[in-house]
Amino acid sequence: MYDDDNYDDGFDDEALASRVRLSLWRKLFAYTNPYRKDLLRLATFAVLTASVEVAYPLITRAVVDSVAEHGFDANLWLYAWYYLACTVILALAVGGFIWTAGKIRTYVSHDIRRDGFENLQRLSFAFYDHRPVGWLMARMTSDCERLSNILAWGFLDLVWGFTMMAGIAIAMLIMNAKLALIVLAIIPVLAWVSAKFQRRILQSARQVRKTNSSITAAYNEAIMGVLTSKAFVREQENLSEFKQLTGGMYGASVMNMTQAAVYVPIVLTLASLAGGLTLAVGGFDLLGGVISAGTLVAFLAYARHFFDPVEQLGHWFAEMQMAQASAERIMSLIEAVPKVKDSADVTATMAAQRDMPSRSWVAADGGPAKISSIEVKNVDFEYDPAHPVLHGINLSVSAGETIAIIGPTGGGKSTLVNVICRFYEPTRGQILIDGIDYRQRSLHWLQSNLGMVLQNAHVFSGTIMQNLRYGRLEASDADVRQAAQLAGADEFIRAMPDGYLTEVGEGGGRLSAGQKQLISFARAILADPQILIMDEATSSVDTETEQRIQRGLTNVLAGRIAFIIAHRLSTIRMATRILVVRDGRIAELGTHDELMAARSHYFELYRQQSLQETTRTLDDPAPQPA
Amino acid sequence: MATKTNSLWSITDGQRARYGRAVLAMAGASLFMFSAPLIGGFAIDVVDTHRVDAGTPLLAMAAEALGGSDALTWYLWLSGAATLLVTAVGGVFLYFRGRLAALTSETIVKGIRDELYRRLHHLHARYYDDADTGDLVQRCSSDVETVRVFLSSDVVEIGRAIILVLIATPILFWLDSRLAWVSLVLMPFLTVFAYVFFAKVKEVFQITDEAEGAMTAVLQENLTGIRVVRAFARQDFEIEKFAAKNQAFRDHNHRLIRLMGIYWATSDLFALGQVGLVLFFGGFWLMDSSLSVGTLFTFMMLEGMVIWPVRQLGRVLTDTGKAVVSLGRINDILTEPEESLEPTPAHGRAEGEIVIEHLDFEYEPGRPVIRDLNLTIRAGECLAIVGAPGSGKSTLIRLLLRLYGYSKGSIRLDGHELAQVNRQWLRSQIGVVMQDPFLYSGSIEANLKVGRPDANRDHIVQACDDAAISDAIANFPGGYGAMVGERGVTLSGGQRQRLALGRAFVKDPPVLVLDDSLSAVDTGTEQRILKALDARRGRHTTIIIAHRLSSVIHADRIMVLDEGRCVQLGDHATLAAQDGPYRRLCQLQGALDEQIRDDIRLTGAS
Repeated sequence: MYDDDNYDDGFDDEALASRVRLSLWRKLFAYTNPYRKDLLRLATFAVLTASVEVAYPLITRAVVDSVAEHGFDANLWLYAWYYLACTVILALAVGGFIWTAGKIRTYVSHDIRRDGFENLQRLSFAFYDHRPVGWLMARMTSDCERLSNILAWGFLDLVWGFTMMAGIAIAMLIMNAKLALIVLAIIPVLAWVSAKFQRRILQSARQVRKTNSSITAAYNEAIMGVLTSKAFVREQENLSEFKQLTGGMYGASVMNMTQAAVYVPIVLTLASLAGGLTLAVGGFDLLGGVISAGTLVAFLAYARHFFDPVEQLGHWFAEMQMAQASAERIMSLIEAVPKVKDSADVTATMAAQRDMPSRSWVAADGGPAKISSIEVKNVDFEYDPAHPVLHGINLSVSAGETIAIIGPTGGGKSTLVNVICRFYEPTRGQILIDGIDYRQRSLHWLQSNLGMVLQNAHVFSGTIMQNLRYGRLEASDADVRQAAQLAGADEFIRAMPDGYLTEVGEGGGRLSAGQKQLISFARAILADPQILIMDEATSSVDTETEQRIQRGLTNVLAGRIAFIIAHRLSTIRMATRILVVRDGRIAELGTHDELMAARSHYFELYRQQSLQETTRTLDDPAPQPA
Repeated sequence: MATKTNSLWSITDGQRARYGRAVLAMAGASLFMFSAPLIGGFAIDVVDTHRVDAGTPLLAMAAEALGGSDALTWYLWLSGAATLLVTAVGGVFLYFRGRLAALTSETIVKGIRDELYRRLHHLHARYYDDADTGDLVQRCSSDVETVRVFLSSDVVEIGRAIILVLIATPILFWLDSRLAWVSLVLMPFLTVFAYVFFAKVKEVFQITDEAEGAMTAVLQENLTGIRVVRAFARQDFEIEKFAAKNQAFRDHNHRLIRLMGIYWATSDLFALGQVGLVLFFGGFWLMDSSLSVGTLFTFMMLEGMVIWPVRQLGRVLTDTGKAVVSLGRINDILTEPEESLEPTPAHGRAEGEIVIEHLDFEYEPGRPVIRDLNLTIRAGECLAIVGAPGSGKSTLIRLLLRLYGYSKGSIRLDGHELAQVNRQWLRSQIGVVMQDPFLYSGSIEANLKVGRPDANRDHIVQACDDAAISDAIANFPGGYGAMVGERGVTLSGGQRQRLALGRAFVKDPPVLVLDDSLSAVDTGTEQRILKALDARRGRHTTIIIAHRLSSVIHADRIMVLDEGRCVQLGDHATLAAQDGPYRRLCQLQGALDEQIRDDIRLTGAS
């Protein structure tokens, strides 16, 4: 189970929160550019709201003073109309800013997520290798929400807060400068206290989140490992370890809430210091006739309300600092440049080709559409320089050939295939498709000519039909059925409750591993690829089905280039040539007979595999009831 | 041990006194906080009338005593100081309220968390057969969180609103009963409006949540299946698919926020209308001097203090419904029956003799998995079990561990009927290695010590040597200290199996069970492990479930299970000589050996 707080991704939350990074926020703020008008509207509503809020104490003052001055002749109705107007304006402005901020917030988060997703579709596998799915999910969900919240609500509160403070300050200064200065003197103290405390509170909130993630992970482990825990009588130990976690959670949570419990009274007390001083000093002025009773009432109200924006701004300031790590993370995702992409030349040719009439033998990048040979020339590959994965690979394959790749785990079999498919590019050497370096061809062209069947067959939620059609979106139902038949999948699919329209559940949860492999095989056949890759593709299907697949496979392989990583002898023996990859090098290459005669690595593997295969064949299940 | 957690009221059991103190602190805080506007109001009246006796008696007396002729000035200073003082004291009460509420809710929640965790360990294994891990985890995390928020914040909010109204009302009526009526008249509407509104938009909340869930699901699927997306060059298709969900979530969320905009605007109308009523009725009564400026000021300030929590009340009340639902979901787990506790037999370590008589077992009625099984395994014997999947091999092991209870027949360990001994004792006598072993997140060493926390290093190293895993461990960065799992080393299937075997060896139990636990280990390593097992022969009663002939050939006896029945039992030589499934297994193996030999000979000759 992935959780952000217990995973080191190279972004240090604490360090990134140390000061406000304006350049970062400017970059993020650019996301509001398409919503300039809304932003302007939002600012207007915020200013309007703040102004009306500043006006209320003035109305109170007017009511009190005019009654004091004119007694029964005071025109209260006039003020009542003012009040009503203010209230209606305020309600409309509040509704207005919520609508506008809501729009900005949801649209900006949508846009960030869209850009993130589109870039994720471009980024090469190298990026995915060091970013767990959970990490990516956290960026695309909670981080997007958090940042768009700051951009919308934070912006709103910023405008509102400053307008409100400025408005109150001006109103107070006009009414009585001395009293105003008394109230204003408290502001810096309060702002400082507020920012400090809010930061602490956010930090301890982070600690709470962190512990909470650990607790969730512990529950997950408890459930996943319940039989092991029972078998090893771990109930007591596990519980006492868990109690340390919940104890930590208790401490962190109480700490977080206590900080809030200290903070609020301090703010209130500071505010009442301003209120008390205003009361005393304003009282003298009232006694001395310098100010009216209404003015004093208004002042006392202002002294109270002045602190709301300070508190809000303190909160947003702290939140901005704490969210900078989120911002850095998501920008790193959006701005990451794919390691494998079309060269400038290829992009230019493709743009030029777009206007040409399409011809079936010409690919979108202007090169030949047909693949008749692949040549791997002196290819080296490494994920990082310290750990080379492939060295000096040389291999030439022509259409119609099937290459079985075998060798020990970690020897580089899958990497070789990934480099051939240009999911990674060679660190040295080159791969030629019909004599042209594949870096001079379009990535999309090559990859749309691939068919891949992987060991951990991934199926998407939706119906079986939709999953199969992933191979060729425009395929007819008949085409789909035919591919399923070739893959040996038709029978089990028709036995499903809704046949081809059966929902497979999230991640194909309602299918067995073997069924998922069959679907992914049929999907690859439907794609009618020029290059077919099968990586341990039938490891989870039973022998009988396997045999059915074998029969179909002969038809499927005809005319294509195929690479099959397999353990089963029956599959390996179908290949035209066998490639033994060990420690990143080609250890052996030849036909079955040649390699057997050579008495080398393949020979050993063959013996071992055959032993395992018999025993497996022996107790292979009669198809299990679902 | 078991706490009954069936209502919001009952979970506060044991913490009610503290909740009570929190409520008292809240009341204290409200009283003092309300005093500030009162002091201010009286001070205004004192100044307005130029008479100290228009103020509060206490401050008036103090001012006269201190200031004499200058009593008015003194009264003002004292009022200012008193405002600060009552707020500070109120602040202290407020702090205690916050602190007590935190302690109370966190104590209750810790109790729920611990009890859930304990319960998950003690539920019957059968419970997990059709339990959904994701759903269970969600009950333990999100639902507990909902209850926590309810206890720590919602309860406090409800309490605050009620206490504020309860305390403010008498003060208002004491000051001026006419204006008091005016100042309360819109509040019920405000609460009812909020309640009705949130009850109505519940559906929109739900739709938005679902839209978010759908978007997250597409995202998750895309990211986990990114290799498939690339392999078929379906980036554009995926971008469109995601865009649709992303937009749907945006639009639903936007709609929700717009509804909230309507709510806040309307509720602002109510709240400000309420304040306006006070102001203008007050203004009207100011005219005939039946109301003082100070009292009007106090009313205005108090109104501002009360109206916010009242405004929240409607929302909070709708949240109560959520908390009840969550508690129900938690309660589903807490009311599941636990494994029973039987007495532990007097002596410590078992000898390891297992006697099974007329054992029958079925998971669901009418589908027997074990049928009339009879078997005696001598202490120290090595028994191998072979049979097709579904023949009952693993079920037998589960019965032996009492993960499932058997209803007919008998299984005895050292003469103790399993159904009548303590499960924990029984399980501590058995070391089991499963095909797909579960490793705890933690260090390699911690995983190895799971069965014997006090094991010393030599013992552990020996066990790992026997399990043929010590070389692999030595190669991990950090060796025995290396962490297992997402944040540590990734183990291959074979390494996991060998580590689990090492773990069982460290436990050194009287009965050792290997449930198809060498399936992912290559044949060379398998032979090493079998040799090590052979060297330990006599130390444990050993049960090996295996598919490969090479794993079972050296066992003292081999049992062939078929559809829950023992169809053959004897050593390799005996069974190989009998006509039966075991011989077919040998023949098949033999035939293959022959084919390989031919293959080798033929290719060798060419």
